[in-house]
Amino acid sequence: MNLRLVMRMAWRDWRSGELGLLLIALILAIGTVTSVSLFVDRLHQALISESANFLAADRYIGSSREIPEEFRVAASARGITFTDTMLFPSMVFASDEVNQLVSVKAVAPGYPLRGVLKISDEPFTPGEVTLELPELGEIWLDSRLFPSLGISLGDTVEVGFAELEVAKVLTREPDRGGSLFDLGPRLLMRIEDVPATEVVQPGSRISYRLLLKGDDSALAELKDELPLKPNFRWVSIRESSPAIGSALDRAESFLLLGGLLGVLLAGVAVALSAHRYARRHYDHVGILKTLGASANQILGGYVVLLTAVGAVSVVLGLAGGGAIHMIIVALLGSLIPIDLPMPSARPFLLGSATGLICALAFALPPLLHLKNISPMRVLHRDLGSAPASQYLSYGAAAAGSLFLLIWYSGSLWLTAWMLICTGVALGVFGMLATLLLRSGRVVGMQAGSGWRLALAGLQRRHRENVGQILIFGLAFMLLLILLLLRTSLIDEWRSQLPENAPNHFVLNVTPEQVDDLSAMLAEHSEQQGGIYPMVRGRVIEANGVDAKTWEDEHRSMEGPGPRLRSERNLTWAAKLPDDNTVVKGTWWDENETRALASLEDDYAEALGLEIGDTLRFDVAGQIVDVEITNFRHLEWESMRPNFFIIFSPGALDQIPATYMTSFFLAPEKKRFLNTLLSEFPTITVIEVDALINQVQSIIERVTQAVELVLSLVVASGCLVLIASIQASRDTRMAEHALIRTLGGSRRLIAGSLAGEFAALGFFAGIVAVVGSEFTVAMLQTQIFDLPMRIHPWLWLVAPLAGSLLILVVGLFGTRSLVSAPPMLVLRGLN
Amino acid sequence: MNRAVIRSEAIAKVVPTVEGELTILDGIDLEINAGETLAIVGASGSGKTTLLGILAGLDLPTGGKVFLSDNELTMMDEEQRAKVRGEHVGFVFQTFQLLGSLTALENVMLPRELRGDANAKQEAMDLLTKVGLGERTTHYPRQLSGGEQQRVAIARAFACQPTVLFADEPTGNLDTATGQKIIDLIFELNEEFATTLVLVTHDERLASRCQRTVVLDTGRIVS
Repeated sequence: MNLRLVMRMAWRDWRSGELGLLLIALILAIGTVTSVSLFVDRLHQALISESANFLAADRYIGSSREIPEEFRVAASARGITFTDTMLFPSMVFASDEVNQLVSVKAVAPGYPLRGVLKISDEPFTPGEVTLELPELGEIWLDSRLFPSLGISLGDTVEVGFAELEVAKVLTREPDRGGSLFDLGPRLLMRIEDVPATEVVQPGSRISYRLLLKGDDSALAELKDELPLKPNFRWVSIRESSPAIGSALDRAESFLLLGGLLGVLLAGVAVALSAHRYARRHYDHVGILKTLGASANQILGGYVVLLTAVGAVSVVLGLAGGGAIHMIIVALLGSLIPIDLPMPSARPFLLGSATGLICALAFALPPLLHLKNISPMRVLHRDLGSAPASQYLSYGAAAAGSLFLLIWYSGSLWLTAWMLICTGVALGVFGMLATLLLRSGRVVGMQAGSGWRLALAGLQRRHRENVGQILIFGLAFMLLLILLLLRTSLIDEWRSQLPENAPNHFVLNVTPEQVDDLSAMLAEHSEQQGGIYPMVRGRVIEANGVDAKTWEDEHRSMEGPGPRLRSERNLTWAAKLPDDNTVVKGTWWDENETRALASLEDDYAEALGLEIGDTLRFDVAGQIVDVEITNFRHLEWESMRPNFFIIFSPGALDQIPATYMTSFFLAPEKKRFLNTLLSEFPTITVIEVDALINQVQSIIERVTQAVELVLSLVVASGCLVLIASIQASRDTRMAEHALIRTLGGSRRLIAGSLAGEFAALGFFAGIVAVVGSEFTVAMLQTQIFDLPMRIHPWLWLVAPLAGSLLILVVGLFGTRSLVSAPPMLVLRGLN
Repeated sequence: MNRAVIRSEAIAKVVPTVEGELTILDGIDLEINAGETLAIVGASGSGKTTLLGILAGLDLPTGGKVFLSDNELTMMDEEQRAKVRGEHVGFVFQTFQLLGSLTALENVMLPRELRGDANAKQEAMDLLTKVGLGERTTHYPRQLSGGEQQRVAIARAFACQPTVLFADEPTGNLDTATGQKIIDLIFELNEEFATTLVLVTHDERLASRCQRTVVLDTGRIVS
């Protein structure tokens, strides 16, 4: 067929609505994928940059040695932005009598590369974002240093030999680390002022960092090029904050999964529309063939037609997808308190490719089949109407889906797992859906005529309906899993944190301050953890074997995890601390005089230590030998002071110690910190609540994003439902015409349709509940180590919600079927 | 004009079924001359329509040979048979077989458009006027009555000035009066275009208007 004729026929098809459904399905497919991936892409970029704020950079190189100049040269050569910071503890003197140990961060211009600093003119206020740094000769201080040093803005303090002016209150910095080394109150100064302080001496404990910002590829190349080992650490968000890193990983996987589902659902919608279009053209092709059109002409015509439809849908789909995504962003702007960066080209490429592949893999096979329609069909209608080759249709759809999955996920491994899990889920849920449909039929036999029609309808389109139940069941299931997990994890977190759990830690308490401090905390805080002496020390020998050798021979895990030789906080206690339980051996007598030690059970197991083993410690230069007499289990989440190693009383008698404790302070009583630090200037207070809030807010945002994407997947499922209703439209029209002819009322038809959709949604809801309860139970017991919980309310709510959703969408999709006059319905069959 | 335009030699059509092989046509020898009008009659299931499809090149027999305008259809593939159909054959069907998405005019233009004919529109207009639908050219099939739809189908059948017109129960879906008008129209145009007419029918009145009648019974010509 010549091009003009094809185009004219396409136009006629479009005008008569024949092509409309396929075109709309393709546009919706591309639009959905584009809008979801645009949003995911921007959110993903935003989450990455948000999490980069924790480092104040994309990556950093850390070391106790100075960063060599060649690192900067190499970074510069790759177009990577960099800046230097130094971290070290130092004493600050406000006067001869008033001094305080602080954690100094010296920064160079450019800091922070990611995130922002907030400063204020008054301590303990939220502060404002600033793009500036302290001027040379000036410093910014943590709120709590003002009362403890008894100073105000404009005063000068001494850091080493330098006199520096206090210019601002520092209220927030992005890379506020979590290591004990960096827990002191912050003093932010310029790196150029460090030499004048003369605090940097050989042997000083300084942490040098080269913060880096740039493309992932450039950063990866730099990492490979630099001679980092053994003295320099390359740190990304994943190494720096494993909890946030893994939250991000999970979020990415969830978003990816949502995207993948969107793609597949779009493909199903396209395939359904294309099959319907092809079926409606069997006669058309038969006639064309009797009129002399050859198979090749037919094939060429439909390929050109599909290409044209594909091109139009790509343009409209991309535009539509962009618009939908703008609406989502506008709607959710307030929910997502992150500035979304501009999208990359990838979502648009992905949308276009999705259109092309959907057209080729899902729409082309049924159209290809048209060329095989026999012209005899015009004489014998039952001839040449065999459906398109199942192998071709399913094969092409599977190949197309596979290609999209691999391309979309960028991972063969993830794709393989997805396929295996999907296969198993489809198999199991398919059986469940079939059983539900069968049971529906049995119930239907005894039901009134509306319901009987509805359930018979479900049974008759058995295959399509199993598909529908699976699609909705799976989408609902993912939403439910997320909902249950979030609820369960937050509940669990809350239940582990008893009411008024300590949210502040106090370190560096001198023995003389212990009584007064305890009294003051008892007066102002509702809950106080025990007060523990603390010394720093390290193991140098285990059972007479050098600690390094022991570790090499006995350490059971690679990579992170406790190390024997690390310097640790040690304490001693006569009584077993609250929240600790002895799991092996026995706790010592209160009057014990021997030097004994109690180890945390995981720590002991990781290092291959047993009851009765001996350890030699170097504590502040003194050698202490102890025998291990018991292992303890700790509740790390209790937020009380916890120790890997506890000594028996007397073992560390000769060694000067400071004390630590923890206490709860309600948010509205924060100003008590002022009083506390004025009274005890030398103590260090760590505000744990701020850290917890930060982590919680990240998890909240990630969950919101994932929920949004899953909602879009449910919306795609609704589109498939509409396409599927359209695909069964002709059969339904015939049935309805017959029922109307036999005297069935419009109400009966509307009722049977409503019943059919409600039952479909109800079954999908049951599949979702079964799947989500099972998955959540597995996750709770196997991954999160929580007790298994069944959610009875879900078994009621989910099927009802599923019914309602599919009822509304289904009735919307069939409204013209019900309202059409019977004569028009009969005519429409010709 | 006595040259055979259609010739079949021992046509057989056997199809496999679950109960074994079913013989639909069994050794049909037939010669139809140019300009002749032939009616194929017989009971339901006698093989009339199958024979029509094979003679028109819509289907292939499982045995025997078929020639249409000196083309041996049984030696051709579907592509070549489509070309022969486009050049030599016109069809009128019981169920009209108009394309619902095209107007009356567009339906009539279609065979010529498939050939790439630039004058398709004018020719189609003339034909529609000839069948009495000059005023209904922009109507879609669903806006026309059964008789009107069959008129459009007849106009379409003559659009390419075919050598042979095959008609399958052309009045089967029409009332008596309308059917009579349609028969008149077919014979009128057949004469005007000097076309050979092969029609399958139950209608004895219609068969009697043909020069020759062939009676089929269980796949064989009985008279």
